[in-house]
Amino acid sequence: MGLLKKNEQTIVKNRLAEGMKDPIKIVLFVSDKQEDCHYCNLTKEVIEEVANLSEGKIATETFLMSENKALAEKYGVEYVPGFTILDKNGDNRNVVFHGAPFGHEFATLLEIILVVSNGYETPVPDSVIKKIKEIKEPVKLQAFVTPTCPHCPQAVLTSHFFAMINPNIKSEMVEASEFPELSAKYGVSAVPQVVINDGAGIFVGAYPPENFYEEIMKTLGK
Amino acid sequence: MVFFDLGSSIDTGKKKEIEESYDVVIIGGGPAGMTAGVYSARGGLKTLIIEKASEGGQVVLTEEVENYPGFLKITGNDLSQRFSKQARHFGCDIISAEVRNVDVCCDNKFVILDDEKKIKTNVIIIATGASHKKLGVPGETRLNGRGVSYCAICDGAFFRDRHVAVIGGGNSAIEEALYLSQMVSKVTVVHRRDKLRADKIIQDRAFANPKIEFVWDSVISEIEGGNRVSSLSVENLKTGIKSKLDVDGVFIYIGLKPQTDLFKNMIQLTHEGFIIVDKDTLETSIPGIFAAGDVIEKEIRQIVNAAADGAIASSMAIKKYF
Repeated sequence: MGLLKKNEQTIVKNRLAEGMKDPIKIVLFVSDKQEDCHYCNLTKEVIEEVANLSEGKIATETFLMSENKALAEKYGVEYVPGFTILDKNGDNRNVVFHGAPFGHEFATLLEIILVVSNGYETPVPDSVIKKIKEIKEPVKLQAFVTPTCPHCPQAVLTSHFFAMINPNIKSEMVEASEFPELSAKYGVSAVPQVVINDGAGIFVGAYPPENFYEEIMKTLGK
Repeated sequence: MVFFDLGSSIDTGKKKEIEESYDVVIIGGGPAGMTAGVYSARGGLKTLIIEKASEGGQVVLTEEVENYPGFLKITGNDLSQRFSKQARHFGCDIISAEVRNVDVCCDNKFVILDDEKKIKTNVIIIATGASHKKLGVPGETRLNGRGVSYCAICDGAFFRDRHVAVIGGGNSAIEEALYLSQMVSKVTVVHRRDKLRADKIIQDRAFANPKIEFVWDSVISEIEGGNRVSSLSVENLKTGIKSKLDVDGVFIYIGLKPQTDLFKNMIQLTHEGFIIVDKDTLETSIPGIFAAGDVIEKEIRQIVNAAADGAIASSMAIKKYF
């Protein structure tokens, strides 16, 4: 008995079978203490379920955060549950998820799996890709979401796509209700909220790629 | 409650680069725009749908829809995914972008996107819908995202076991109050009249809900708080008495503001900004530009008649211009 219902499993299985090209690996960091991480087990469970529906194209590996800090740091995973997706070359392009991929964020997870598996073919328009590639400064994007927010996947996807396009950009999804302290730090009470460079820039809403890019430039003072 | 959005609306196979010219460009990807797309594409027209937020429009923010024919109960998100899937199925191009300008010149029409891309088209269908109207009181803008919200399903989780206010008395306001009551400790509905406008079935549910209280005949004159919302100034319109309502959040559902800023000096609009159309054809004051859905002047704004508008606008456009 899995988390996904039978008919949902079929849909996921078909999407992965049709959409995946190269194998990928999901690397998850958890805590061994259930009381420290309410969603760690559930996250592990759902990720493994997705992997099982991939006919061997998705590998998973789970590490204890407490014993693998250096590895987590290498991938940019700071909190548990936190995970990242490695392409066939073992690269994660600075794309990180903090929190369980439930609700609408499950759609985000599936989409990112497909994009990574297809060699980072993102739906960002070429005109925006060109401008994103020109960013020389380090940019940290944190997209705060809730699983029930239907506009949120758009914000996370755009943020993650930008990181895939330019190695100077790091992108994190943060499931706001699982990380109340981090959310409180940036006063998150409406989502999607995107925090740029630790609060130097903040905007609320799912912006199209062009407007999202403009917000980054504004934060960089350009 | 754990659920999984399988993301049928996010389509990796979608074409990201669009053409330079189309037969029909539809601005807005809600029920009206998507339905217009289905009719236009099925009519053999090269069709582009431009949506600036996420596909589906306002409907995606509705937790449960119980009045769309054929579905006893469906989430707003599921319904809108079905709309966009259908539009794609018949060959519509759908992109995520904001329209910067619409240029009507010498028999040609151009839609200019946020990246300066210029798309030539014969017909434009405006289905930009409406966004939630703001109260326009002190504190509202400053505390937006700091306790002021316009989306209960997005932001309700931040107010678990807290006291929130819902402003308004229509279907949206009361549905959201009911939704919020599942997680917050108390919902106070503040409404300017002495009875609700919401459908009877929704009213009955709200009155029976022990977590929902009502403040009648009252409006908000200010939203107060330092970094976050802490209270509301409430004014009773009948007695003139002002009082303070301590809340942690306020959800505003007082009606709709049409998204027509772009068309202000171009198309004939009502005083409130809704687009005036020919009632039979849904054509605007400019030939070849149609409008459909919540954005047009009409009495009833529901998903079902937004979709119907989309069908009419595309069908009439085909009849008249192709």
